[in-house]
Amino acid sequence: MSDQTNGDPLARLGTDAETGETMIELQELTKRFPGQETPAVDRLSLSIPKGEIVVFVGPSGCGKTTSLKMINRIIEPSSGHIIIDGEDVTDIDPNHLRRRIGYVIQQIGLFPHIRIAENVATVPHLLGWDKDRTRERVDELLDVVGLPPEQYRERFPKELSGGQRQRVGVARALAADPPVLLMDEPFGAIDPITRTRLQNEFLRLQTELQKTICFVTHDIDEAIKMGDRIAILQEGSRVAQFATPEEILTHPANDFVEDFVGTGATLKRLKLTRVKEVEPTEALTGRVDEDRETLRQRFDASDWTAMLLLDRENKPLRWLRGPDLRQQDRPLEKAGVRTRALVEPQATLSDALEEMLLGAAGVAIVVDRRGAYRGLLDIDAIITTIQTMKDAQAEYYRAAKLADPEDEVPA
Amino acid sequence: MSTSLTPPDSSDRVVPTDAERRQTARDEDAAGVRRARRASLVRYLGMPLFLALVLLGLFLWVGTQELDSIEARTLTAENLLGQTRQHITLTLYSTFFVLLLAVPLGILATRPRLRRYAPVIIGLGNAGQAIPSLGLLALLFYLFRTQPALPSTGTFPVVVSLVGYSFLPILRNTMVGLDQVDRFVLEAGKGMGMSNRKVLRSIELPLAVPVVLAGVRTALVLNVGTAALAFLFGGGGLGETIFAGFQLRRTPVLITGAILVAVLALLVDYLAGLIEEKLTPKGL
Repeated sequence: MSDQTNGDPLARLGTDAETGETMIELQELTKRFPGQETPAVDRLSLSIPKGEIVVFVGPSGCGKTTSLKMINRIIEPSSGHIIIDGEDVTDIDPNHLRRRIGYVIQQIGLFPHIRIAENVATVPHLLGWDKDRTRERVDELLDVVGLPPEQYRERFPKELSGGQRQRVGVARALAADPPVLLMDEPFGAIDPITRTRLQNEFLRLQTELQKTICFVTHDIDEAIKMGDRIAILQEGSRVAQFATPEEILTHPANDFVEDFVGTGATLKRLKLTRVKEVEPTEALTGRVDEDRETLRQRFDASDWTAMLLLDRENKPLRWLRGPDLRQQDRPLEKAGVRTRALVEPQATLSDALEEMLLGAAGVAIVVDRRGAYRGLLDIDAIITTIQTMKDAQAEYYRAAKLADPEDEVPA
Repeated sequence: MSTSLTPPDSSDRVVPTDAERRQTARDEDAAGVRRARRASLVRYLGMPLFLALVLLGLFLWVGTQELDSIEARTLTAENLLGQTRQHITLTLYSTFFVLLLAVPLGILATRPRLRRYAPVIIGLGNAGQAIPSLGLLALLFYLFRTQPALPSTGTFPVVVSLVGYSFLPILRNTMVGLDQVDRFVLEAGKGMGMSNRKVLRSIELPLAVPVVLAGVRTALVLNVGTAALAFLFGGGGLGETIFAGFQLRRTPVLITGAILVAVLALLVDYLAGLIEEKLTPKGL
């Protein structure tokens, strides 16, 4: 719970861009891979303010990772300039440049043959720190990332879980206290629960560290959570919108941004909401042990186009239409069409939606654990829920950002 | 029969206390450790013991045979030890030189700039191994005869041909060993400001060691086998005894030579395995 509050956007206010200084400046950065007609990154220009987390987010293949890797020149730009802290680093020795930039990748890339302490000490070794200083720094960092040094120092990477390894990855990137950190989907390969914890811890850490961070993800939720600013990138790393998460949610610059924010975020939210949290609607029902004439009268009296036939245990059997009720030649159990799209209250809205799409039905029938009818969930109910969630979400981020009026830049 | 069918009396049933359970667990742990220790003893001492037994058996068996004068002259300790020493020398020399050549070549062939030549280099190694060993020896013999500066018999041509023959396993394993290093580990190294040389020395090579050593082990065993042909070109070795036994139809001589080569090959493989284990980085 304390993690939650620390990871809250509220906690980060007041640290953002107090000075308004630019830490990383990308000027017309372009990458053309040999044999490819269109450039992977096409004249990307962006200013990244000191002490902020700027998230590059976009669909796969949009060039976000290439853009990130050009900052420490793991990928050499074809043209354009990179200016870090006022210095043009486009042509300096890349090895020296990289020792000043922390680098965290999704695959972590710990060196499997050396111990955790030595892994963390990589850059201090390269910089020629003495033994005592290095050891002190390693212990301090392991502590910071929540791995007690006396317990983890001497272990090998393979003895750690994925989450622990990425903690080491972060510690290693921070070892020489670089002012800039590049993170390429750092929490992408980690299970959702651990990911949330690492995200929260990292945000808390950042309030102390105040690094300038470039963060790549394809997950808009993560972007909204982690970013002080988000750069939504389109193909060729063209910037569709570069703004605060709040602004992107409330004022998407164009359809692309709206689509990208909309689909990704809400579909994920659909997985968080369960069927039982949505009020089911009541269907017109009849039971097999009722008289056919009674059913027909009830059907005619309603404005429903179909009646849900239940068996003696209230389990859905068939959908009956008017003609099915009027014809006498077939027993009711065989008339009409078979019921499809049955969901239990525990299912998520995402499951229910999928059932509806699979069953080509506009409604899903909610049944309890024993299969007895509980109600109907129609597609309109899901749409209403989505709308409510969207509003609440925008409200949440707006509230978070506006909590401190000092931070609000007057329009 | 009848006693085993009666249900156990409840008063007899022993419910273990926690302390007892812990003690049992400790005993089981200790037993596990003992088992593991015994297993590793078997692993480390099994092969040498087996080889010693084979040699002892051979010695006893030869002792029961009535040896004629030719056999008695061939199967002297001095003779056999000398040949064994020659055999080992040939194997070690050739392995040393092939390492000196094939490992650096394998490293070069995996550098990005020289990558495209890799198939050519592999082809070269393939050729060395595709030619039958005897043929390779014979070819070198004739080649060296045309060069007055080079000795066409003795240790030198044999070592050269053994190098050619065992080139491929070491070259290929060096390349494979370097290639199988996770590219993200390399990217992380580069991303933190390691130079290419530093990446090679501190990451790629240590991580390639197990695979390279497996190649060395193969090459060593190959060389022990092929060195049995060295006698044809005046290189000596245990091949002399085998061939003498074969030509003179002296079975004890033939068998002694053959078993000695086999024991030597197994021993070399065993020792190489120990070195492999020792040199493999701990974290892998």
